[in-house]
Amino acid sequence: MCQKKKFTMVLLIKPMYNTWEVKANCHHFHGQLRRKPFRCFRQRRNAENAVRSYRYTVLTFLPLNLYEQFQRFANIFFLLVVILQCVPAIATIPWYTTLLPLIIVLSVRGMKDLSADLARRRSDSQINSRPCDVLTPAGFTTLQWKDVCIGDVLRIHKDQIIPADLLLLCSSEPHSLCYVETADIDGETNLKYRQALSITHSELISDPAEEALSTFDGNVLCENPNNRLYSFKGDLYWRGKTHRLDIEHILLRGMVLRNTDCAYGLAIYTGSDCKILRNSGQVIVKKTQVEKDFNRVVIGIVLTLLLVAVLMAVGSGLFEYRVSPKMEVLSALGGGSTPVYRGFLAFWGYVILLSPSMPIALYITFEMIHVVHCLLIGWDLHMYWANNDTPAQARSKSLNEELGQVGHLLSDKTGTLTQNRLIFRQCCIAGDIYGLLPHQKLPLDLSWNPYSYGGLHFHDQRLVDRLVKQQCPQSQEFLTSLVLCHTVMSDTTFFAGTIRYQAASPDEEALVVAARELGWVFLSRTRDSLTINALGQTLNYELLALLDFTSDRRRMSVLVREPGGGLKLYCKGADVVILERLQKDSPHQESTARALEIFAQGCLRTLCVAVRTVTEQQWQKWRDGLQEGEALVEELHGRMERELMLLGVTAIEDRLQDGVPEAISSLRQAGIKVWVLTGDKTETAVNVGYSCRLIDPDTNLLQGEDFKDLDVWCIDNRPPWSKVTVVITGHQLADLMEEPEWGARFVALSNQCQSVLCCRVTPGQKAEVVRLIRKHTSSVTLAIGDGANDVNMIKTAHIGVGLCGVEGSQAVQNADFALSQFSFLCRLLLVHGHWSYYRICKFLHYFLFKTTAFALVHIWFGFFSGFSAQPLYETWFIPFYTIAYTSMPVQCLAIFEQDVSAEGCLRWAALYKTGQRRDLFSPATLAASLLYSVYTSLVLCLLPLGAFHSTALDYQTLAITVATSAVFTVTIEIIIQTRYWTKYNIAAICLSLALYFILTLIVHSKILHDKLPADFYFTGTSLNPVVWLTILLTTSFLFLLAVHCAERKMFQLAFLLLIFLQVHSMMLPTQVRRPGGFRRGGVLRHSSYAMSQGAGFGRLITSGTGLHATAPAQEGAEAAANGTKENNDKL
Amino acid sequence: MAASCWPASGFYREKKRNCSARTAIFDGGMMKNKEGEVANRPDNTAFTQQRLPAWQPMLSAGIVIPGFLVIGLVFIGIGVALFLGSQSIQVLESDYTGLNSNTPCYECSDASKKNCTCSIEFTLTKQFDGPVFLYYGLSNFFQNHRKYGVSRDYYQLSGDTAYFKNPSDSCSPYIYDSGVPIVPCGAAANSMFNDSFRLYQLVGGTKKPVPLDGKGISWWTDYNIVFRNPPLVNGSLAAAFNGTAKPVNWAKPAYELDTSDPSNNGFMNEDFLVWMRRAALPDFRKLYRRITQGDYAAGLPVGNYSLEISYNYPVIGFGGRKKIVLSNVSWMGGKNMFLGVAYLVIGSLCIVMSLVMLIVYAKYKFPEGDS
Repeated sequence: MCQKKKFTMVLLIKPMYNTWEVKANCHHFHGQLRRKPFRCFRQRRNAENAVRSYRYTVLTFLPLNLYEQFQRFANIFFLLVVILQCVPAIATIPWYTTLLPLIIVLSVRGMKDLSADLARRRSDSQINSRPCDVLTPAGFTTLQWKDVCIGDVLRIHKDQIIPADLLLLCSSEPHSLCYVETADIDGETNLKYRQALSITHSELISDPAEEALSTFDGNVLCENPNNRLYSFKGDLYWRGKTHRLDIEHILLRGMVLRNTDCAYGLAIYTGSDCKILRNSGQVIVKKTQVEKDFNRVVIGIVLTLLLVAVLMAVGSGLFEYRVSPKMEVLSALGGGSTPVYRGFLAFWGYVILLSPSMPIALYITFEMIHVVHCLLIGWDLHMYWANNDTPAQARSKSLNEELGQVGHLLSDKTGTLTQNRLIFRQCCIAGDIYGLLPHQKLPLDLSWNPYSYGGLHFHDQRLVDRLVKQQCPQSQEFLTSLVLCHTVMSDTTFFAGTIRYQAASPDEEALVVAARELGWVFLSRTRDSLTINALGQTLNYELLALLDFTSDRRRMSVLVREPGGGLKLYCKGADVVILERLQKDSPHQESTARALEIFAQGCLRTLCVAVRTVTEQQWQKWRDGLQEGEALVEELHGRMERELMLLGVTAIEDRLQDGVPEAISSLRQAGIKVWVLTGDKTETAVNVGYSCRLIDPDTNLLQGEDFKDLDVWCIDNRPPWSKVTVVITGHQLADLMEEPEWGARFVALSNQCQSVLCCRVTPGQKAEVVRLIRKHTSSVTLAIGDGANDVNMIKTAHIGVGLCGVEGSQAVQNADFALSQFSFLCRLLLVHGHWSYYRICKFLHYFLFKTTAFALVHIWFGFFSGFSAQPLYETWFIPFYTIAYTSMPVQCLAIFEQDVSAEGCLRWAALYKTGQRRDLFSPATLAASLLYSVYTSLVLCLLPLGAFHSTALDYQTLAITVATSAVFTVTIEIIIQTRYWTKYNIAAICLSLALYFILTLIVHSKILHDKLPADFYFTGTSLNPVVWLTILLTTSFLFLLAVHCAERKMFQLAFLLLIFLQVHSMMLPTQVRRPGGFRRGGVLRHSSYAMSQGAGFGRLITSGTGLHATAPAQEGAEAAANGTKENNDKL
Repeated sequence: MAASCWPASGFYREKKRNCSARTAIFDGGMMKNKEGEVANRPDNTAFTQQRLPAWQPMLSAGIVIPGFLVIGLVFIGIGVALFLGSQSIQVLESDYTGLNSNTPCYECSDASKKNCTCSIEFTLTKQFDGPVFLYYGLSNFFQNHRKYGVSRDYYQLSGDTAYFKNPSDSCSPYIYDSGVPIVPCGAAANSMFNDSFRLYQLVGGTKKPVPLDGKGISWWTDYNIVFRNPPLVNGSLAAAFNGTAKPVNWAKPAYELDTSDPSNNGFMNEDFLVWMRRAALPDFRKLYRRITQGDYAAGLPVGNYSLEISYNYPVIGFGGRKKIVLSNVSWMGGKNMFLGVAYLVIGSLCIVMSLVMLIVYAKYKFPEGDS
């Protein structure tokens, strides 16, 4: 089978796309050692199943890591400087002055990369050593994941993760169906099913399973590995026949087998060929605006440096041309070269000399500070949610300061603003409203119900009493309808004495659970029957027809034959749809309408429930009609769902997460535009908008037809815009997107409005909206969501936040930050974001100041030293200045600094606007900072020169005076900048100054000089009072100006705070919380239930696939379990 | 295919709710809280919660204005002290380059003349308090030029005889004199100042020599640490310099710099040390001698003096000037008006600034302590 000849023959006949060939069990034919042999591949080597996400090995670490690091502009720049410094003619400062900081920077970064790589290694080996059962000649053997090869037949047990992409051959379930959970693949937690080919199902089922499987010699020809998760093209050639394969026959790596005892599969793609691994593609590295701006500044510094070097070179050339020839010493030193050549050398000399003005340690410090800020986010107890034991998590380590600049917040609704937990709150049966009293919180006494296990938030004992005492036939009918009219599946196994339900719609699940708690228990269903337990009495209903929910029909019905033999049609659906289909004289219509109003006011989702008695004749007619054909089905359904009798209304609460209204109002105060993007309906979204205070009660809604006049709206720039909310649907949005100028206008309009709701949008559109905002505004966007449908949006926005919600981990996996609750976002932005922004802006400005101020001194000294690139510092001072003397205080500043306490940040949310306006970091502030450093360097150079003019004080004394002044000045600057003095700040400053004196004494010591006189020639330090007086003069001169500026800033800050306080006190009256639920003018009913965009279980139920026609599943499961046991015994 | 896009269903949510249901009222047996489930709970420390005790000074007007006032007053005080200290220092300065024909050294300024001597006469009408320092000053001389600065061999100067044979390349072009290594090599040594001075008091027509003290004029570390003579060979310094050439511009080799004092020779010659310590600026002065002995220990009395200059060092070629400076010193060293004036200026600026701020503050009074 595995011989080459055959391959080529197969090659001739196979379709074009089938270039990947897998032969089952072909290790038999190789007869070699177990592992290596069955590489039944052609063309290229297929991947082992071992994943390898680590990058380095012992040998490759150094070259690879250095290669990566030298892709950074700053590093390559300094490497070039080091190389230049090796040329003696231009080595104005020795090589070690640059190499020392460079090596430190490289090694810190290297250590960081190494530790990350080791962590990846650990997780790799953990994954690779997971166990799985592989079919070997000796039967199924438990091996590790990494040992799986293409062509292996695997056995997957219940709840096991699938190790490679498999072709499902057969399973222990009927029709070889198997259920899988795909949370790790698309983030959806509901079950999906996969089904084996009927040929493999029928031929390979055997007992024990090995027998048939080990003789399976099918040959799969399929497309090459790709990243398309939802498609698969291939054929199975077996026993001379070709069977078409598609994605429904494939189990993907990462899926979890559920509800199925055992599944057997043939490995098709392994390791990095698996679809899920092909999907984990390029990680988009997001960069913040601040970082981009600063990179530009760094490039600007380099260009300026080169320009200055050119000017100095010109100066040097002129000096060599006019002065040197007259002076015997200098002309001799010139060595006979031309002034132009000497100017050229001076250029390089100045490039080297001024290179310390490039902040070499900046990037590594910047990264370290980001890491600390991320840790602080993870450490924040206020963002730790005890309920699922999850702290906040910063997954991206480079976006912190952007958290303080968010202008647009784009939020998902379901699962983000709401808990995605639907709760049966109230109902109206025969005109009586139950569960209306919210203060009556006593739990119901449900001890009489053996099936009850909690989960009911319905508090009305009256209904329970009526049900138990069987006083009210209508309420019984109501519950019967709830328990019959749905597409929920019950778990075949009993789990801790309770029944687990599985539903395509969370609303349905809530209803069935509520019915169970109230005594009407849905037990199980087969293709054509439903078993329920009503008040302890097990009843079997024959299911005649199921008219499934669609978004057009907005209702669903079941036609059942009661145990007594009568036929009944139960129907539930949106109020509008049901009410128009009622009998003319159906009772309780008015009271129900009133109930609907009340429920809508309470932000509850309603469904009307109705019933109809059907005669046998009618049913016969319909059945005949149903069998006729598709075209008539809709009409027929319409005919069946008529003449209904209203039973009641259910009211379901889509609960908001804790603290969402408060968080949203804080964020709005902070000037953040909140947009809600949801796949849900307009009514639902608007209702949630009101209840989460996104929309004020007196806000006008701009929706639907109003957009036709968008031109008018935009031109007419009226002030009351602040009280307008835009509500737009996906269709309208799609229309907008087509015309680009409309997009710009729409964004401009939206920016003036209070908020925007986008309803009925697809995941793709969510990302489109983000792109639209990014395109037409300069503000930072933040997208928050919890589900796989938000991934697109999360990836597109500047910052993506994932909620660790109930919808799997897909959103979190793609997010930059992970939170447990929406309300934590408030703290993440207003506190951590604001602080990060404040700290990082201060840090960058100071860093720029300290490096440039100290290095630019050389320019000014050049005017006095014949443009000879004479350093004004001792050579050792230059690297130590970067590494030791000035690095610690600024790091402490960047970690501990707070302008306002956390409480203050949350209280005066308007403080956040400094980040949105980019007050602290803009070209203007950078220019100011640079000017200040130029000024500082001038003072640092000129004041000592003035004091030393015409004195006997020498160059060495001058160098020490300027160096000490520089250290003192930048230290004083950080002292002024620091507003939040912790013990660490004080320690860092003391340590830096102490280090300066200690290291200076060491470098100037006799011992080092005796060893290396040429490298340590600054022996002996002057303690002349003039030196100290000059240092005092210089530093205080700079200090006074800095204090003056700082104090003016302080005045401004105090002034701002004053304004905030006034604004705050003015805003207080509007902040008074509305008591209870929400009240507003026009009550908007919203009725219907959330249904998935795809189909539900309806098809599965009616087609009967996967449902046991008659027999309960227990026996089969037991048999399979026994089989497994036997297998295990054998092995 | 349709199966792939079902939304979240309740099946497994049910299970996950176990942990998310702590706040909700559940009475079932499944929904129990597990108290131990706080493994990921962050530590509640001041550091992790960013609640470190901290001092938050506010630069309010109440601090800044008095602060500026106090600093201003202190600086004015220092300025006054410096100014007065500087004022009290007597300085006698004389340019002896001899550019003009009416200056004493005009004849000597001709570079072709060798061993030229000239003398400057001056009269002191006031006692010149001791100790008096004699400096020579050069201007437009770029001792701080980088190439000049590096043109020396530190190993050689520390007495390492290995570098006597092979001086460092940094000395270029003053490494070899016709094949013989130069010691001390380099431009710095080669360009050593070689004028010499003698001071006489004219008492009744006779010249009474004023003893000039050349001891201790060099930097302590230079004399004691940095510069070292090579080990003597047979008790002779000259022998230690065997096989080396003197710098080309020097009249005598290093071991004969001071014929009067054998210990003041070689690299330990104090004039050499003073010269080798680079000046900070192109205009500089260097200490030549101190007047500390004999009748003149208390200073130079009133009278006429003559300064005899042995004029050797050419400066006119590069537009330089030579100066001779007599000065006494105070606690702050030599005369330095710049510092005093600078302190006074800054001090006054501080006071002016504090007054301006006071006016601004009085006008737009900000409520203190509101924030």
